[in-house]
Amino acid sequence: MNRISKFQFTALLLITDLFSLCCFGSVSLGTLWGILAAAAVQYLAAMCFAVQGGALKKWAQVFFLVYAVFSGGALFVSLWRTRSVVYIPYEASHGIWGSLMTAGLIALVCLYASSTGIRLVARAAVIAAAMALLSLSVDLVSAVFNAEWSNVSLPEKRGLLSEIMRGFGLSGSLGSMAVWLDSVKGDKSKALTAYFGAKAAAAAAVMLTVLPVVGGIMELTDFPVITAAQLSQPFEAQRIDSLFMVVFSVLAIFSVTLQVMTGAYLLGELIPRFQRWRSLTVIALVIGAAFIINGRELLTARACAAAAALLIAPVGAKKSAAKGSG
Amino acid sequence: MEKKRLLSSLDRSIDEIRRISGGSSDVLINRFVTGGIHCALLCCEGMVSASVITELIFEPITDIPQQKDSHGLFHYINEELLLSTDRPEVGDYDTLFQLMNSGFAVLLAEGMTTGLAFGVQGYNTRGVQEPLGEGNIMGAHEGFTETVRTNMSQIRRRIKSPELVMELSKRGDKSYTDICLCYMKDRVPKALMERIRRSLDRVELEAVLTTGYLRPFVENGSFELFDSTGTTERPDVLCSKLIEGRVALLVDGVPYAIVIPRLFCESFQTLDDYAYKPYYATFIRWLKYGAFLIAVLLPSFYVAIVMYHPELLNSTLFMLLVDSEKKAPLSIVTEAFFVLIMYEVIREAGVRLPKPVGGAVSIISGLIIGDAAVNSGLVSTPLLTMTALSVLGGLVVPELNPQVTVLRFVFLAAGGALGLFGISLLACGVLVNICATEDYGFPYMAPLSPFKRSGMGDTAVRSGIKKLQSRGFTVEEYHE
Repeated sequence: MNRISKFQFTALLLITDLFSLCCFGSVSLGTLWGILAAAAVQYLAAMCFAVQGGALKKWAQVFFLVYAVFSGGALFVSLWRTRSVVYIPYEASHGIWGSLMTAGLIALVCLYASSTGIRLVARAAVIAAAMALLSLSVDLVSAVFNAEWSNVSLPEKRGLLSEIMRGFGLSGSLGSMAVWLDSVKGDKSKALTAYFGAKAAAAAAVMLTVLPVVGGIMELTDFPVITAAQLSQPFEAQRIDSLFMVVFSVLAIFSVTLQVMTGAYLLGELIPRFQRWRSLTVIALVIGAAFIINGRELLTARACAAAAALLIAPVGAKKSAAKGSG
Repeated sequence: MEKKRLLSSLDRSIDEIRRISGGSSDVLINRFVTGGIHCALLCCEGMVSASVITELIFEPITDIPQQKDSHGLFHYINEELLLSTDRPEVGDYDTLFQLMNSGFAVLLAEGMTTGLAFGVQGYNTRGVQEPLGEGNIMGAHEGFTETVRTNMSQIRRRIKSPELVMELSKRGDKSYTDICLCYMKDRVPKALMERIRRSLDRVELEAVLTTGYLRPFVENGSFELFDSTGTTERPDVLCSKLIEGRVALLVDGVPYAIVIPRLFCESFQTLDDYAYKPYYATFIRWLKYGAFLIAVLLPSFYVAIVMYHPELLNSTLFMLLVDSEKKAPLSIVTEAFFVLIMYEVIREAGVRLPKPVGGAVSIISGLIIGDAAVNSGLVSTPLLTMTALSVLGGLVVPELNPQVTVLRFVFLAAGGALGLFGISLLACGVLVNICATEDYGFPYMAPLSPFKRSGMGDTAVRSGIKKLQSRGFTVEEYHE
């Protein structure tokens, strides 16, 4: 298996979480606590897996393959849902063909990216994540000038348990974490600490800038993070939310690529003879899954799947780490 | 050519040489008797210096006293006369022709199955001149020439350390081109040298006429947009690369050296950076990064924003663009393609045409594009301004010009078809490709990704020379 550094590992996983965060529904301060609490629970479970260590058993591989396909499909659905606020030419006006075109174009880039291997995609992911964080911080720091700080303490609509569940649903990359953790160079627990630390910090930063800007109009917006980016303009006579559009697309592509690579790797492990069309098969499955789950409420399913992934990872780990080919 | 041993009979040997050369007019055979032995001195016309051959070969060789046989004659020449510093022995016709065609004079004697060769090269070559493609203000003004040995001497003049090794060999079944592998033996890992030698062993070309013939053999075979090997025509730049533990390849007849491996960040570094104060060098470096992005992305962003995301423009700018674009008969994408293709045609014409005609091309292109096209309303002024800025940006990083040119067109198509979403998709593809570029285990995007903090001192900024000195950098730090 190819070896990646802890920063590359963190960047790969963080991108998926950032994209999910961009597509998140209405938020409040309770959402932030929910995300942080969910991240803390996930961190503890992931540390158990890191201590257990090693490659996954066959049945666990099957589970994580299904999980990757489901997560990839959920990412496509999130992308389609944001079409009303993030303008993709031709997509909205062409109905299902528009959705298919968007999916097809993303699939093409994912196919190429996944053909290069996890080590090389991880290198690109570091640059993409750095650019995304930089652009998001420019966008969101500029939001501070349009902020209404009293919005932070607006009354909660959901209970903490419900918010923790939403926080769990934010984690589409847990399957990839379980699969690729074995390929991280050096101390695995440090890599997990870096990832969950970065995730918590990014979520806190985004939430604390989104709430003051969008808090007052939370009822009117479906995607508060995107709305916050659109409302936050550092220059009086110039809008910069195109920057957000670029970042959003980049995050979407790398998120889907990660799921496709995870699925393709697991498919190769499960059926060693099936090497040539693995990525294409997984992409087709992901797009198929996206069409099946499109229009359904996925939060509970995603939260349950994430919880199951965290339980199955340590149970499904082999005692000794067998090295396969990446 | 057949590896046939030299014949002992001088007459038959000369007949054989005439047969192999097909009676070529530039093969000169001078027969004479010295020391009582029949001899022949062979050379290739135009490849030897007439004065050197007269002074160093003919004059001493005709004064040789009587010898009892040919062995005695060769022994006398070898032991008593110092005719030339470069004196290889010839045993077969293949070697004989290789040496003769490289400017050696070959002495054959009756009864001998070997010959003596003397290096008396004297062919006309271009002198050392200022390099045309890599301008420099504060550094040396010497560039490589077409003669590999002159280039070797230019490197040796700058690095006198015995650690600098230059290995000469020949490639090309017909051209027998001299190629020289240069490296610092204390800096380059042995494994890397072995891998490069193995790559070069795969060269089975008939002729090696430019560096482009060899580069595919030392580069990764997969599809890469950017070159993982570089070229330079400056000996000082090459020396800095050698000291950093890289390997260079000089090719006879080409005033460029191949540098292995090459990194992306190096395209933005010049020797002048190290002559200026660090703050100014850092500023210039970031200017180049910005210029590269402008060169690739500006036309596509302009087209994407005007066509699909006009809300991003402020009202004044928006009205200005509307006012100028409404007069243009073509769509913005077609206009942009038209202007860029026109520029590429003019550039190519300027490069290929004879210099006296080049001025005329500049005037015509200036009139056509700068004036007539705008006045006739065929092209809008803002678009022309964006395109000109993009082209100028590309000229700041000349080494990446092929990539910038093609990417500019591809991004323009993506932006024109799918707006910023299309640009983002393509950017991801390019980013993955550029990060996947790797040769001999050296990632092209190092030290950015994989991130090496120590490398940032000469990438994100240009640290002071004292700090760089203490770092003791070799490219091996980036090996994965």
